[in-house]
Amino acid sequence: MAEKKLRQIAIYGKGGIGKSTTTQNTVAGLASLGKRILIIGCDPKADSTRLILHAKAQDTVMDKVRELGTVEDLELDDVCKRGYGEVMCVESGGPEPGVGCAGRGVITAINFLEEEGAYTPDLDYVFYDVLGDVVCGGFAMPIRENKAQEIYIVVSGEMMAMYAANNICKGIVKYAASGSVRLAGLICNSRETDREADLIEALAARLGTQMIHFVPRDNQVQRAELRRMTVIEYSPDHKQAAEYRTLAQKIVDNEMFVVPTPLEMEDLEDLLMEFGIMEAEDETIVGVAENA
Amino acid sequence: MAERKPIKGITIESTEKLIADTLAEMPEKAQKKRAPHLGANEPGASACAVKSNKKVVPGVMSQRGCAYAGAKGVVWGPIRDMIHVSHGPVGCGVYSWGTRRNLMQGIPGVTSFPMDFTSDFQERDIVYGGDLKLEKLLREADELFPLNKGMSVLSECPVGLIGDDINAVAKKMEKELDKLVVPCNCEGFRGVSQSLGHHISNDSIRDHIIGKFKFKEEAGPYDIALIGDYNIGGDVWAAKPILEEIGLNVKSVWTGDGEVEKIGATHSVKLNLIHCYRSMNYMCKVMEEKWNIPWLEYNFFGPTKIEESLRAIGELFDDKIRKNVEKVIKKYKPVMKEVTDEYKPRLEGKTAMLFVGGLRPRHTIGAYEDLGIQITGAGYEFAHQDDYDRTAPEMAKGTLIYDDVSEFELEKFVEELKPDLVGSGIKEKYVFQKAGIPFRQMHSWDYSGPYHGYEGFKIFARDIDMAINSPTWDLVKSPF
Amino acid sequence: MSAAEAAVKFVTETPPEEIERVKEWINSEEYKEKNFERTALVVNPAHACQPLGAQMVATGFEGALPFIHGSQGCASYFRSTFSRHYREPAAATCDAMTEDGAVFGGQNNLFEGLENAYALYKPKMIPIFTTCMPEVIGDDLNAYTKNAKAQGFIPEDLPTPYANTPSFNGSHIHGYDAMLRSILQTLTEGQKVEGKCTGKLNIIPGFDGNVGNLREYKRILDLMGIPYTMLADVSDVFDSGCDGEYKLYPGGTKMEDAAESINGKATISMQKYSTVTTMKWIESEYDGEKAILPLPFGVKKTDEMLMKLAELFDKPIPAELKAERARAVDAMTDAQQYLHGRKFAIAGDPDYLLGIVTFLLEMGARPWHILCSRSTKKFQKEMQALLDTSVFGEGCSIYINKDLWHMRSLLVTDPVDGIIGDTHAKWAARDAKIPLFRIGFPIIDRVNLHRTPVVGYNGAISMLSMLANKFLDIKDETCDDQWFEMMR
Repeated sequence: MAEKKLRQIAIYGKGGIGKSTTTQNTVAGLASLGKRILIIGCDPKADSTRLILHAKAQDTVMDKVRELGTVEDLELDDVCKRGYGEVMCVESGGPEPGVGCAGRGVITAINFLEEEGAYTPDLDYVFYDVLGDVVCGGFAMPIRENKAQEIYIVVSGEMMAMYAANNICKGIVKYAASGSVRLAGLICNSRETDREADLIEALAARLGTQMIHFVPRDNQVQRAELRRMTVIEYSPDHKQAAEYRTLAQKIVDNEMFVVPTPLEMEDLEDLLMEFGIMEAEDETIVGVAENA
Repeated sequence: MAERKPIKGITIESTEKLIADTLAEMPEKAQKKRAPHLGANEPGASACAVKSNKKVVPGVMSQRGCAYAGAKGVVWGPIRDMIHVSHGPVGCGVYSWGTRRNLMQGIPGVTSFPMDFTSDFQERDIVYGGDLKLEKLLREADELFPLNKGMSVLSECPVGLIGDDINAVAKKMEKELDKLVVPCNCEGFRGVSQSLGHHISNDSIRDHIIGKFKFKEEAGPYDIALIGDYNIGGDVWAAKPILEEIGLNVKSVWTGDGEVEKIGATHSVKLNLIHCYRSMNYMCKVMEEKWNIPWLEYNFFGPTKIEESLRAIGELFDDKIRKNVEKVIKKYKPVMKEVTDEYKPRLEGKTAMLFVGGLRPRHTIGAYEDLGIQITGAGYEFAHQDDYDRTAPEMAKGTLIYDDVSEFELEKFVEELKPDLVGSGIKEKYVFQKAGIPFRQMHSWDYSGPYHGYEGFKIFARDIDMAINSPTWDLVKSPF
Repeated sequence: MSAAEAAVKFVTETPPEEIERVKEWINSEEYKEKNFERTALVVNPAHACQPLGAQMVATGFEGALPFIHGSQGCASYFRSTFSRHYREPAAATCDAMTEDGAVFGGQNNLFEGLENAYALYKPKMIPIFTTCMPEVIGDDLNAYTKNAKAQGFIPEDLPTPYANTPSFNGSHIHGYDAMLRSILQTLTEGQKVEGKCTGKLNIIPGFDGNVGNLREYKRILDLMGIPYTMLADVSDVFDSGCDGEYKLYPGGTKMEDAAESINGKATISMQKYSTVTTMKWIESEYDGEKAILPLPFGVKKTDEMLMKLAELFDKPIPAELKAERARAVDAMTDAQQYLHGRKFAIAGDPDYLLGIVTFLLEMGARPWHILCSRSTKKFQKEMQALLDTSVFGEGCSIYINKDLWHMRSLLVTDPVDGIIGDTHAKWAARDAKIPLFRIGFPIIDRVNLHRTPVVGYNGAISMLSMLANKFLDIKDETCDDQWFEMMR
């Protein structure tokens, strides 16, 4: 039998865009296709695995480290839990906003998982669900060499989401120069803005990538979430479940891995004008900096 | 002061050539950065041309330490009745534990604390922050060491990076414990050397200690304080008796064998005598501005400088003190002559090169000269312009001045100038000894001392003679 | 009087009787309990931080210039520590990150540092390791070093192994481990040749501040006629001669030998705890047999080492070593009366502790307080199992993650005859008026102890002499005249 190749995927995107929900539904989709997956939540809020585990993770890596005092006494079983579809789940955990160093928590957790052998040979995928804003080196840990090689950015037609996606691409360029990390596509998590799919398609083209899937907005996601489940598990026959399965299959088949070409701020604004989000005649009423 | 006689074989041109040849082996960018820090001495110039207090050039093997080292090792560590907490990971506290030789009186663990107190940060403390741990730690320390007169919190690199607020914790705990709790934000990545650590510590003393205490006894006309003497190898214990012998009362010492409450009451003295100008001039200036206390630099290395300093001190007091000064000088003249009579014949005409912290090269020149030794090169790890300006007149024309010298440069310089002695630090010591060049550690007095005062000069002379004239050097070259 | 003036306090003098009270109190059982209750404060730890260990092992390769990515103060601390212990130069350079590096990351410092270090010191390899500063901000050394090569700051083919060595995790032994693994990974890359066997033994001494031990291993291997590569060999670097010429790179394991080590006949580690990840990696990548041996302190563990070597290389143990063994046993039986039943307190690194305890048990001495200021429950279990092998281990206690101030409490409430540890234990020893035997790292207050081997049969004799003679000195110095006699 040919050796299985582990694919490591990092999901980035602006805070509040629905990253964790999209990730977990996609992972559930992959699981329903028979894939073996490990999710590593890289966000101190520790909500990257809730829908798979049907509960908020009780023991994050950092919680346990805090309790035991040192990383050396921590065991893998303490923090690595099995959820829906045999998906293995770990949360790095970390502090409340405003104290300590959450980024270091990500580094600590990933080092621990590697040393303790969490990346078992039977795995097909590792997913890193990363905090919205890459504020320090710690949050770039998942895309260092020998970690995630594919990055998907969750985005919507809202300006700030696209702005964030473009910034994330700038980070990827930096890491791609010395490593093998590549952008694998944009996932549009619809907010039902005007001409959203076209806009994201256009953004993807400018970035040199693809919009791998357009996930329509559907309240079924929230209904499932209230029951601490993914749509795939809660209502496998619902059309939204089919959407996530489609996305999952597209990821399985994806072969388009690129070094992105991020846009200049002006180009991004032009793009938005082109799609009528920012009216051309509005140009006269933009804010002007003092002393400008 | 008369200019030094030129040293045979050393001219401005020869020194400049040596510098140029040395720089030529460096990458261009490094050459550009290093060139301003090296120069040939011009004793008459109004300002020393050598640049200082700039960032270390990455990769060159500098001998410098960090702000934490300047704070913990230099300023705070010697205060004997305080608990000094190295706040952060374990290393900094361990490496600086007992490795500076700032001797102190007291019963260790009871009334003095020559120990390593640390919060020994783990991953969890980095991720969740260490403020709560610090609070708890201070409580535990105060309970286990109840006779402490206060605590200092010295932050290490990560504390500043993760945004802990040690100032808030200190404030809270000072109230709760009813003890001095002094925060000092001296993370190692701040500034360019130990020097910023000194400054930050001076500021902490200004903000948290000075003026908070007063002496029970009435202030007297002869009250003074010793500033910037850290009692290395017992230097304070050799300097203080001389000052007492001329009739002055040393009310507090900053900070060698120091007591924090006395430091906090220093604003009542009549004169501050400053030894290490580099590390404590800041507080002398604060006390001058706020309490009109004049300050004077003094130097008790070698009889010539002791006499100069005593007379200068006398000038700031009355006839009684001035008479005492002369009496003391007269008393020790024959004692010192005995020392120079013994050692000078063996040392006359020798040369030495010095590279120490921020003070000693210029302060010890006189002591070497009392023994007939000339200084052909001198420089500092972390001095500033004002230190170099004070150095230039003490050195002969054309001698070599080097700031933050790298191992590479110093090795080349020594190879060329072939001094009979190199006086520098532990990291440099064995490099030169391997090459068969006598060496004395001049930060720690090479586990000897004191070197300060009349008593110290006897030991200094013995040690320098011992280093240069040890028969072991004759064995270096194998006959086969 | 203003409020501010009123807040000014008088300078206080602690009353002598209060000083006496506290002086007594800190020696009490009650104090010991309080002392053991603390959870935040660490006083007088017996371990250092990871990068120190990384520097030690990086120094052991010929032409290697250890390179510290981070704050320059750390570099000065490590170098000073080694120079004080070995009384030798300890070359290492640093990229001196400052405040801007903390905010923008340390890539530019690394570039410039590598360029200068390479130009000035012409190293054959630059092993890079980190201080806690770049660890907190999350610098990516792999990317940075690749970029440094791509942009021409150093040649593409210069080996630049790197290790992440955060000081807020583990201790110096873990830094040793991480750096060694990375160096071997780098140097052996692409060197594995199927079916090729160099016939050599790879021997990993672990974090050992005693260069005499390293020389003793080499002497034994020479006697057995086993060709070897020591990974890494600091003995000629940290114990170089004085001949009038300073050499920046006075020795160490040759780069090509390290590269070939992957095709060795066997690999042994002499220290389990300081080579955990290295051995795990070697286990999966190296050819030949692998074995993790206990540090050969005392006779039985030396026997174990020799028999393992004999087995791995199918060689007889030479008569000379057998004679050495007999002499060691002779010395031990002759002197056992001076150590039998004596209690010891020991502080140090896990592997050293296991070694010392083994030796003491062999002598019939009792390793009464065993303290490791940074270790794991696994170590505690292994140590307990060792104690359980001997009646002399009965009643002995193991303290992990406790410091030398805890040890002080133990010493004054439950005294022992001797303390074994590094120089840092001298304060507790003095307070408790118990002699300290300096075995470990660092030893910064005595000369040449780092040159006297404590491993092997000869090492057992050295340790034995050091311990027994000190007890006899004490007897001669302290006994009343009527008990003073010619023979002991």
